[in-house]
Amino acid sequence: MLTEVLVSLLAGVFLVLALNKYPRVAGVVAFIISLLPFMAVLAWAGTMGITVPSYLKFFTLETSLTYNLGPGVIHLAITPLGWFFLMLLASVFPLTVMFANSFVKRNAGGFYAAMLLTMFGSFGLLLSQDILSFFIFWEIMSWSIFALVLRGHDRRAIVSYLAFGSLSAMLILFGFMMLYYKTNTFLFADMHLTATPLTLAALSLLVAGFAVKGALMPMHAWAPHAYSRSEEPFVAFLSGGLSKLGFFGIILFMYGVVGMSVISSWGTFRGVPWFGYALAVIGAFTAFAGTVLAVMQDDLRKLLAYSSIGQLGYIAIGIGIGTPLAMTGALFQALNHTFFKAVLFLAAGAVFYRTGKWKISELGGLGYKMPFTFLAALFAIFALAAIPITSGFAAKWLLYEAAIQKKFLFVTPIMLIAGVGAFLYAFKILYGVFLGEPRYDVKEAPLSQLIPMWLLVLPLVIFLVIPGWFVDITAPILRGYGMQPIQHTLFSINTGLATYNTLAVIFGMLGGLLVAFILYKWKKQEVVPHIDNYLAGEPPELYEHIGMHASSKYFEPFDEVFGPIFKKGAERGWEIVLSAAEILGTGARKIYTGIVGDYSIYVLLFFIILVGWWLLW
Amino acid sequence: MVMEIVDILEKILILAGMVTLGFAIGMLFNGIARKVSARIQNRVGPPVYQGFIDVFKLFGKKTNISHGWIFDLAALFSVSGIALAFLFLPVAGYSMLSTDGDLFLILYLLAIPALGFALGAGASGNPNAAVGVMRALMSMLAYELPLVMVMVAMMVYYNTTSLANIVAAQANMQWAFFIPIFFIGALVADMALQGMLMEKPFDIPIAPHEIATGPMVEFGGKHLGALMLYKMMGTVVETTLFVDLFLGGGVVLSVAQYGWLAYLVNFAVWFVLILIVFLIAVMIDNVLPRFRIEQALKFYWKYDALIAIFILIWIFAGVKI
Repeated sequence: MLTEVLVSLLAGVFLVLALNKYPRVAGVVAFIISLLPFMAVLAWAGTMGITVPSYLKFFTLETSLTYNLGPGVIHLAITPLGWFFLMLLASVFPLTVMFANSFVKRNAGGFYAAMLLTMFGSFGLLLSQDILSFFIFWEIMSWSIFALVLRGHDRRAIVSYLAFGSLSAMLILFGFMMLYYKTNTFLFADMHLTATPLTLAALSLLVAGFAVKGALMPMHAWAPHAYSRSEEPFVAFLSGGLSKLGFFGIILFMYGVVGMSVISSWGTFRGVPWFGYALAVIGAFTAFAGTVLAVMQDDLRKLLAYSSIGQLGYIAIGIGIGTPLAMTGALFQALNHTFFKAVLFLAAGAVFYRTGKWKISELGGLGYKMPFTFLAALFAIFALAAIPITSGFAAKWLLYEAAIQKKFLFVTPIMLIAGVGAFLYAFKILYGVFLGEPRYDVKEAPLSQLIPMWLLVLPLVIFLVIPGWFVDITAPILRGYGMQPIQHTLFSINTGLATYNTLAVIFGMLGGLLVAFILYKWKKQEVVPHIDNYLAGEPPELYEHIGMHASSKYFEPFDEVFGPIFKKGAERGWEIVLSAAEILGTGARKIYTGIVGDYSIYVLLFFIILVGWWLLW
Repeated sequence: MVMEIVDILEKILILAGMVTLGFAIGMLFNGIARKVSARIQNRVGPPVYQGFIDVFKLFGKKTNISHGWIFDLAALFSVSGIALAFLFLPVAGYSMLSTDGDLFLILYLLAIPALGFALGAGASGNPNAAVGVMRALMSMLAYELPLVMVMVAMMVYYNTTSLANIVAAQANMQWAFFIPIFFIGALVADMALQGMLMEKPFDIPIAPHEIATGPMVEFGGKHLGALMLYKMMGTVVETTLFVDLFLGGGVVLSVAQYGWLAYLVNFAVWFVLILIVFLIAVMIDNVLPRFRIEQALKFYWKYDALIAIFILIWIFAGVKI
């Protein structure tokens, strides 16, 4: 049945392309096909130790499959890690396709085709058990993202995605070549790697390659452009779903293929392997710098893009620390980020759909006009800022606990201050877009945009109340890497340093709200338009020249302090690399003199070196 | 089963009583601060119970001006959020819910009322309110850095993140305040506390002379009453956090040894200690002018954080892995 699922995903690509002339029909067809991966997730849930009612099992799937393609063999199998990430991608994907139904107008068939191809690539990637099929599916996914970035018609986004996408592919390919040279096998399971410098080099190249997709600094330079110049349903899937594939790769190769014991044998620092320590420090820097850059943006999409970079940094911290606590936190953060960032990008899309504006300084007052969009976005923002009334808190809390447990004295304050920075840009979104002076007389977003947003909010509520479920879901992954799942009951997590009981928080909050509500009584309230109050009842036409929305240059003192340090920092760094490459290139070009005599000398030199090497060896 | 329900009801009653006590102390502190400021400025000042008068008057108003349901969220979130943060603190060694949470939870719970308040201020549509919220968030970013550095140093030193355990580790007068490195830490945290309490020189978010009390500008009636309750309870929560961290939560007698007498003495000591911490802040408030927001950021991130980094290095070198 797995073959049929893969084939129907591929067939769907051509079907929606053929239906290009009927965008509505193509949308419906694409939505139906996009449910297939989620059905696969449900079908495989049993093998992961999760019981799913039989009416949710649409078909049964084999857990492993091999295709013999003559020159190479493709090995597919479902693993706990693959299943977890497939669950994340497959639950976001149909909803973004549903959102696209009303959002994407131009060449809709092409959009759905590229989206389905992206999902096809990711689906295969998460199942693949050998480096050959891993690389093939990785490239299918990567190039179909490029097709979607192309639709944005922004030169900078296209060029930077192309450059970094190819860089990532090259790094991964080199890493794979080294692994193959070392082990002489394609299969992950047969690679019994030892702690040699070559393994370290291969792993470093792989992590650097995957860091491009996960937008870790300094490999993030493509992300702000590509995230902010493409269509929102796709960006929601890119930021929410596809960016996790980078972390899937890092976890798979760091802990699955290479293994904790090999990483530890390269040396440890204060109880944490050097390799993981470096990754954690990079992650913390990414979290902080991404947050600071997000606060400085005026474009809503760019703000969300930088915030994505910052939030993904936390996942890298968790993977780097590598204790059961940290891994659970990293996976939890991956889950939360998947859902809240998808909601936020979709909400931004809904706002654009109604107003046609992206700039925060040009928006305002949409909270009363689009209340359901506002509430979904508010909840997602609470999750992003890790307010304890959403599941966002539990993930950050696990990461903080893990960092304290390993005595990360300097990383933890950076993580915490990045968390405070998140409040700043969270409020910038809330105030700039949804609160303040109402500037647009618009309707609520259509139902086909509201339903995906609210369905995506659901997991954030479920895992707020029952974090224990999440620990149970991730337990097979941890056991696979020889780690013990953390202590938990259904409603509370115990880390050995402290306990977090969600019931106490929820009931305390509900009780507090009840008391506040009684104090407040809700009677005898007169609702006054704030313009009346602010202008003391004078007609607003007289005061049109006065701006009543302070969202332009909202965090100006912040920009003044951090602007000189952070603006264009990373891009300037890459420009130096570029100019160095250019100088080297022009130098190297000088050997092509055009004189035949010179070329014959080169050939001679080459043979002398070759023979000399052969003789000396 | 019946016994369990009775237990739960008893627990809820105690918690409700404690929250009421917290609000009462907050209102009292407001009056004390005004009286002390008045005496420093050689005025007579309002009576000590002025806080109670203000809040009851505001809640007793007949009609309220609202600017819609988002505006109303401010009052609900700020009162309930600050009460929740109070519940997760050990008060005089008595842990209400503090075994179910830890320092990180308290830090994030303190953000609930602040963000709720900011939501209402934003919904009021007054640019002064928005500027005030911007300043509040900026100063939050400023003072949190040295504060979390000291907190992380303490968590690693005591090898726990639970505030209840930190208080328990300081029993028998083994207060962190008497450990030289954390004495410095207490000074750093006290400076951060000045920003948390929004007293001068860090009363930038409110700044009555510049932005007309900032976030509060459009609030009146019950809305203002709720916000005053939030601010008053905030002083109790923040000073209690400081006392729990550095002064052993005010625990002088062990409950196991002395029974109910210990509770009585501990509560009295706790009250005196938070009053002293609060009065220090009020007195600094009365003699200093106001910083600009960039100056506040520079102060906290340059000088305060530098001392905090020294503490971190000290702990880093001394802690056994």
